[in-house]
Formats: sequence, structure tokens, C-alpha cells
Amino acid sequence: MASVTLENVSRMYGAITAVDNVNLKIKSGEFVTLLGPSGCGKTTTLRMVAGLEKNTGGRIAIGDNVVSDSDKGYFVPSERRRLGMVFQSYAIWPHMTVFDNVAYPLRIRRRPDTEVRDRVMNALRLVEMEQYAERPSPALSGGQQQRVAIARALVFEPEVLLLDEPLSNLDARLRTQMGDDFRALQQRLKITALYVTHDQAEAMALSDRVVVMHGGKILQVGAPEEIYRRPENRQVAAFFGTPNLLNATVKDCRPNGGQYFKLSVEGQGWSGDCHAATEMPKGADVTVMVRPENLHVRDAGQVNGDLSWSGEVSQAIFRGSHRSIMVKTPAQTLHVEASSLSNVDIGRPVTVAAPVEAAWAVRN
Amino acid sequence: MTIIHNRPLDDIAETAPTIAGNAFTRAFSGGSLWRLIGMLVLILILGFLTIYPLAMLLYGSLHSTPPGMAGEFNLNGYRSIMTTQNLIVLANTIGISLAKTIPSLTIAVFLAWIVARTDTPFRGTLEVLITLPFFIPPILTAMAWGMLANPQVGVINMVWRWLTGGTDPLVNIYSYGGVIWHMCQYSIPFLFLFMVDAFRAMDPSLEESSRMCGASRWTTFRKITLLLMLPVLTSSFMLSFIKGIETFESALFFGLPAGIKVITTDIYESINHRATPDYQYATSLSFAIMGLMFLLVIWQWWMLRGKSFQTVTGKGFRPSVMELGPWRWVTFAFCVLFFFITVVLPIGQLMLGSFFRFFGFYTYDMLTLEHYRAVFANSEFWRAVRNTMVLGLLGATATMALGAVVAYISVRTRWRGRNLIDSMAWLPWMMPGMVLGVGFLWAFAMLPGPIPIYGTIWALLLAYIALGTPVSVRVMTGAYHQLSYDLEECSRVHGATWAQTMWRIMVALAWPAFAVGWVLTFFGIMRELSASILLYSVGSETLAVVLMKLWANGNAEQVSVIGLMMMLLVIVFRWVQLSFIKARISKL
Ligand SMILES: Nc1ncnc2c1ncn2[C@@H]1O[C@H](COP(=O)(O)OP(=O)(O)O)[C@@H](O)[C@H]1O
Ligand SMILES: [Mg+2]
Repeated sequence: MASVTLENVSRMYGAITAVDNVNLKIKSGEFVTLLGPSGCGKTTTLRMVAGLEKNTGGRIAIGDNVVSDSDKGYFVPSERRRLGMVFQSYAIWPHMTVFDNVAYPLRIRRRPDTEVRDRVMNALRLVEMEQYAERPSPALSGGQQQRVAIARALVFEPEVLLLDEPLSNLDARLRTQMGDDFRALQQRLKITALYVTHDQAEAMALSDRVVVMHGGKILQVGAPEEIYRRPENRQVAAFFGTPNLLNATVKDCRPNGGQYFKLSVEGQGWSGDCHAATEMPKGADVTVMVRPENLHVRDAGQVNGDLSWSGEVSQAIFRGSHRSIMVKTPAQTLHVEASSLSNVDIGRPVTVAAPVEAAWAVRN
Repeated sequence: MTIIHNRPLDDIAETAPTIAGNAFTRAFSGGSLWRLIGMLVLILILGFLTIYPLAMLLYGSLHSTPPGMAGEFNLNGYRSIMTTQNLIVLANTIGISLAKTIPSLTIAVFLAWIVARTDTPFRGTLEVLITLPFFIPPILTAMAWGMLANPQVGVINMVWRWLTGGTDPLVNIYSYGGVIWHMCQYSIPFLFLFMVDAFRAMDPSLEESSRMCGASRWTTFRKITLLLMLPVLTSSFMLSFIKGIETFESALFFGLPAGIKVITTDIYESINHRATPDYQYATSLSFAIMGLMFLLVIWQWWMLRGKSFQTVTGKGFRPSVMELGPWRWVTFAFCVLFFFITVVLPIGQLMLGSFFRFFGFYTYDMLTLEHYRAVFANSEFWRAVRNTMVLGLLGATATMALGAVVAYISVRTRWRGRNLIDSMAWLPWMMPGMVLGVGFLWAFAMLPGPIPIYGTIWALLLAYIALGTPVSVRVMTGAYHQLSYDLEECSRVHGATWAQTMWRIMVALAWPAFAVGWVLTFFGIMRELSASILLYSVGSETLAVVLMKLWANGNAEQVSVIGLMMMLLVIVFRWVQLSFIKARISKL
């Protein structure tokens, strides 16, 4: 398996810039996900790696080989890049059986029949579809089609596996299961995978690293936990879930001993400590992000966290796995995810608290 | 099937002229020089098939002498068509076309509704039977009806006289009514085929929700079903009307003997029935009717712009059928009656005609096989069979190949010039066979000496290809639209070259549509009379032409024999087509 390098890669459509100066290095065997809202350029980026789209700027390399260099006008067509790809629609050819579909990349390369047979059956075994080999492919369910598409993409042992929202056509339960299966397979075979999705949960569960994109640009690259807990800016913070974002002013800033800085901040009617990635001058305006699941509701006046707000419960919704509680504070309404066992009455005065590790400040 | 048309590129490239071609084709087309040469060849071919005869039509309409003779340029042709008599011809043409469109559409809607939306028994079989007349060359039914409803010796009138004892005929096919009656027989199955899928694909929940809101079945039909069908009904109406103006056979057989002229028969007459053929008159008239067709097509396009078939979704719902109770036998009987009148009666008449010594004298001692012997011993008949088969096979193949290439380029590439070839291929749509025939008459006559196409079978072949191309492009366009780009791109990513992808994916997936289009084109060629009658010469007669000649000589008996043969051919072909395509679909 090979690495993938994108250097200053851009793609213009007329005056529209679909992908804007993207730099990314995917290590061999790594699972990288492009994540972002619809229309942010994920598919275009993937298709440029696939060679289905020419980059109008920059260079793309697979392993040690440059496959596209727009300045030199150099371009290796798709079929010579040795890739595997799973399309959003799966693109299972309806006029072939499952076996023929999977055998296609091998037959195109004129492999002997015995080898084709062995490798196809191996690939089908990997995705647990070997008993369906002779099925006509339209007679498959969505999940089965997706497995066949993966088998077909893997059968030739490609340099890189590219996947464009492969799970988005499945129902929720199957999506989780197929995702987990695929992640296990990827780790076992040490496949280099570039994966596109707009689903943050999927991105976090599957990837080694997540690339958050917006408007054709990369906002942040990092491990899922990193991105979730320590976003670089407000946009990335807002992209995952529904965090509480509070405006505040820096009172004090000192190194934390580790990588981070510890800030004392003050907002409208509240104050406390939080972490930040960079040093911030006193008086700077920041946004403090606190995730709903890290907030706790306590009886009024009871303070034992690093950050606290007082207010009253304005709404409580039972959601099965947890209870969403809205607490109205002088600053803003805070969203708290509490245990579904907790019992709160609307209108009750409460204190909302969070530990310092759960609060993350970014520059406005 | 995972057939989705995603990544619609159409709305993008138009606004971004800086980029030539879409990403896919730009990334993949290897030699752009070859592409350029290919496009030029294609433009030349299409230009010869469509622009050239059109230009020659204009040339001929301004030229005072027949094709190939020295003459001068003047406007006499146009002057000569501006007569009050021609105003009547025009009124006849439009009136007859309207008069046949309205009942045809009504009956076709009713039939489509029966087949698609009710629980009438044996709907599948009925559908096959109802659509059969579409595949029968109108010249056959025309001749059969000429015998059936002949005022003197037609079977219908003989039975009527025998029943009533009177002397007056019940029906006379040589009348306005006769022309319209015959046109309907072809129009109804044509409209049925055009509409039935829209009826089938309609989302029943739209109707059901109307019922839930308290509307009765009839109100629902009026306010929901019919209105949802309005786009398809409008386009059917326009199509049928335009086709009606182009029709030749009905007016030729039943109009001319009664002195009822329409534009197509007027063109035909001025070339074939006058002491000296008046080519300038015929050509001017042809050019004028093309202008009319052009306006009609523009009107059609304008009426339908922005209307979409929202009811036709790709979702796999089960269309709910209406339970008719005992009424379902009435609808069943209606379909059977339609089949009986349009297929069984004409075939019966042809059989009757072929086994008796003289047409009209059906007594036991008149039974004979001599007509069969005469036909089979006739070398002209065999030559016509051979010509028709060769033209059908070559013509259908060439037309579909051309259509497949043109449609591919215009649907799936962004090559420069794709709009040009698309429009060129569409041009014959506005040209009735008769007009195209006149255009090619001039076109072939004006070719330089060493290209002797005129008077050969190739003249017919070229005309057939030109006439068939709009349909073949349409069929293939539909097929390509259904295939998602992913299917192609996926093949490329997994190592196949452009050529391999073409062959193993596109051709493999599009060939059922190709086959359907092929059979349609083949039937079209077998049916063609109006261009053939102008372009044939001794040695290149088709079956339809031979039939015409025999009919003109009053040889109704041999006409019946040949007619029966052709019927048989049609039925066999249709049967092969149906079982072949069914097998194909069930395999998918
Ligand atoms: N062929 C194309 N021509 C013009 N614009 C395009 C084309 N393909 C994509 N775009 C534009 O590029 C942007 C990114 O598209 P895409 O990569 O498909 O987004 P995503 O996959 O993240 O939803 C969109 O604004 C889209 O409209
Ligand atoms: Mg996308």
C-alpha cells in the first residue's frame, strides 16, 4: 500500500473554486476521512486523486510517483493509477454477476483464469459474500451491493482505496455495522484509504485522521478525538454536534505545563478556567466551547467545577439514551446532556458546571 | 438496478465556456486529433443526410426545370402554390389531422388506462394485441379496408345488404370518414405506446390522497389523474397532429379516389400523376409544408417547455389497479373489439382475397391457389422481398449505429460541435417522408456524375437512414440517460481503458435499447411508402412499392397474397422481439 500526497491542489470550474490549495499527506496504511458539509469539495478532491478529474493547480503523488502535475501538464489517466474505488451509488454493473463484477479489474489486466477465480473468491470471502458469487448483481440488497463494491475495489490489491460516501445509501443500523466491519478489514489488511463523508459520527468512528473541509479549503487535520475536543476554530467546533459556544474575554493566560495554555476567562455573568492551544493576550475575545455531554446540572449554589453558570431549567426532553436539558443563564441558554435517569423540573434554579478539561477556547 | 443519473453536468459547462469538454472526457480522450477527425466525418455524414436534401429542396423550389436539367431561377413555384385550391388542400390536411387526433387520443387514453390502471383480465396479452396494429404497415390495412368497405363489393356492405335486403351500402371507405377511420387505426396504438408508461408510472398515492380528502373516484380522475397526465396528453396530441399532417397512405388510398386532397398526396400527384411532372410546384409545396412543420414543432416545444413528468418517478412502488368488478369484462371486450377491428378483420380480408379467383366473388367454386402460384413465380416479387430485407437489415443497423454515436456524443461528452450534430440528426423530424423524398430526388440528381446513387437501392437506403435517425437518437439518448456516469468511471478507475469501458460497459448495457430501436427502425423501413415511391426505380422496388403497383393495376388478389406474407413477417418479428426482450429483462 502506498501513501498519497497532495501539494497545493486546486480545482476550478470556470470561476468557481471547488477545491482551494489543499495540502495533505496520507501515510501508507492510514485511514483518512474528508469531512465537510455538502458542496465543500470532498468529492472533487477524491476524484482528482482517482484521476477522474484533472487538478487545475498543484501536484498529486501516489507512493513515490507523481500522477498529476498541473504545472508540467503531466497527467496519468485513471486506469494506470492502480486504485480501487467505491462509489456512492456502488456502480455495480447490472449486466454482470457478482463474480464478474469483482473479476473485472483482473480480467481487464488479463490475469489467468485460475488466478482470477482464486482472487475473486478471496475478495468475496473478505466481505462475506462468497455464497453470492453467481447471483445476478441487480438481485442484491443495498448492503450486499456495498460489499461487492468493496470486494471489487480490493481484488487487485490497489495502491489506495478511495471511497465516496459508501454508507450513505444504507439505513442507520446497517450503516454502523458496515462501517465497523470495514474499519476492521482496513486495519487487518493495512489498506491506505481515503474516505469521503458528511457524517461526523462515521468519520470519527472509522478514521485515523479526519480532514475537515469547508468551501474547498482544509480547516483542520487531526485525529478524531483531537478535532472533537480541541478544534482550531469556531467553524470546526460548530461542525461536530451542537456544542455550547460562549463569548468571553481573556483575564489571564499561563502555560499549563503540557502542550496547552490555561486561560481564565470571563463572560456575561460567569467566569472560570479553560484550555486553549495558543497563548492569548489579556483582553482578547475568545469563544469557549463546552460540549453538552460534559456539562453537569447541580442544585443551585453548589459549585465544584472549574466553570459554572447559574440559571433555571427551561426545557427538558427525554431522548432515551439521555435527557436534553436547556438551562437559561444570563449569558445564553446552555444545552446539557444529562443521564436519562436524572429528574429535573422546569423552572427550577440550578447551577451548571464543567471541568476545566471540557472547556476549550478558540480565538474569535 | 443501480441506474441513477447523477452528477448532472448540463447546468454547469454552459456557463463556463473556458473549459472545453467535461472532466471525464477531457481526462480520458486520448488523441484529440482523432476526435476532431471523427467529429468531422460525423458532421459530413449527417450533413449529407439532412442539410443537403434540405438545401436542395430550396434550390429545387426556385429552379424552373426538373432535377438535372438546365433552367433558370424564379419564384414561379411559390406563385403556383398560392391558389385557393391549395387553401382547401391545406384546410383538408389540418382538418383531417385534427379530426383523427381527437378520437384517437380519447380511445388511446381509455386503452392505456385499462391496461395500466385496472384489473381487466389478461392485460398483458391485451397490451400486445392492442399495439400490434402499430407494427403493421398502413399500406396493408389500407388495402384490406379498401376491400372490406368498398361500397360495391366490400364484405361489410355485402353482409349489410344481405341482412337488410336494401341496395344502399352501409359504409363507403372512399370518403373523409374513410381517411380518418384508417388513420385512427394506426394512431391509436401509436399514442397508446407513447402514453402507457406514463400511466403505469404514476404514483398512486397522489390519487389515494385525493380519495382520502373526500373526492369521489370520478372527481379524482378529473382533478388529479387527468391533470397529472396533462403534459403527456399535450405532447401526445401535438405528436399525433404532426404525424397526421405527414400521413400519406390513408389519403392516397381513400382520399384521392374521392377527390379529397391533402398536401402529401398533392405533392405525389404533381410528380407522378401529371402528364409532365411539375417538379417546381412539388418542391415549392414541400418546402412550404416544411415551414409549416417547423412552426408546429416550435409550437410544440413552446407548449411543453418547463413541463416535466413529475408523476413519473423512479421509485419502485406498485401501481395500484382499480377493481372494476363485473365491468372488467366490458373493458376486456373493448380491447378485444379493438384488436378484432384493427387486426383480425384486415387479415381475414386478405385471406379471403387471396384464396378466391376474383375479389368480391366469394363462392365455393371460385376457390383457388393460383394467386399464390402467380406471386411465387413472379421474379419481381422475390426481388422486392430481397430489396426490402436488405434495406431493412442494413438500414436499421446503420440508422441505429448512427443514432448510438450521435446520442453518445451529445449526452455523455462535452465535445465541441455536439449540439450541432444533435440538431442535424433531429432535422428530418420536421420532414415528412414525402418531402424528404423530394429533397433526395434533387440531392441525388445534383450529385456529380461519378456518384450514381439515383435509381439504385442506395438511394432508398440513404433516405431511410435520414428518416429513422431522429427516432434512433431518441431511443439511445434515453438509454444513456439511464446509465449513471459512475458505471463508466468505476470501470476506468479499476483499470479499463476508454475503449475497453465502451465495449464492456456501455455497449453491454445499452444494447437492449439498441435492439428495441433496431426493430422499430426495421418496421419503419418495411412500412415506408412515401419516400420509396418517389425514389425507387426498376430493380429497386420494395414490397410496399410492388404492392402499390399491383393495386394500381387492380390486382387485389395478388395484393392480398403479398399482404398476408408481410403480415406474417410482422407478427413473427414482433413475437421474436417480445420474447427476446422479455428474456433479456428477466435476466437483468
Ligand atoms: N463538474 C462540475 N462543474 C462545475 N462545478 C462543479 C462540478 N463538480 C462539482 N462542482 C462544484 O464544486 C463544488 C464541490 O463539489 P463536490 O466536490 O461534489 O462537493 P461535496 O462532495 O463535498 O459535496 C460544488 O460547489 C459544486 O457545485
Ligand atoms: Mg460528494
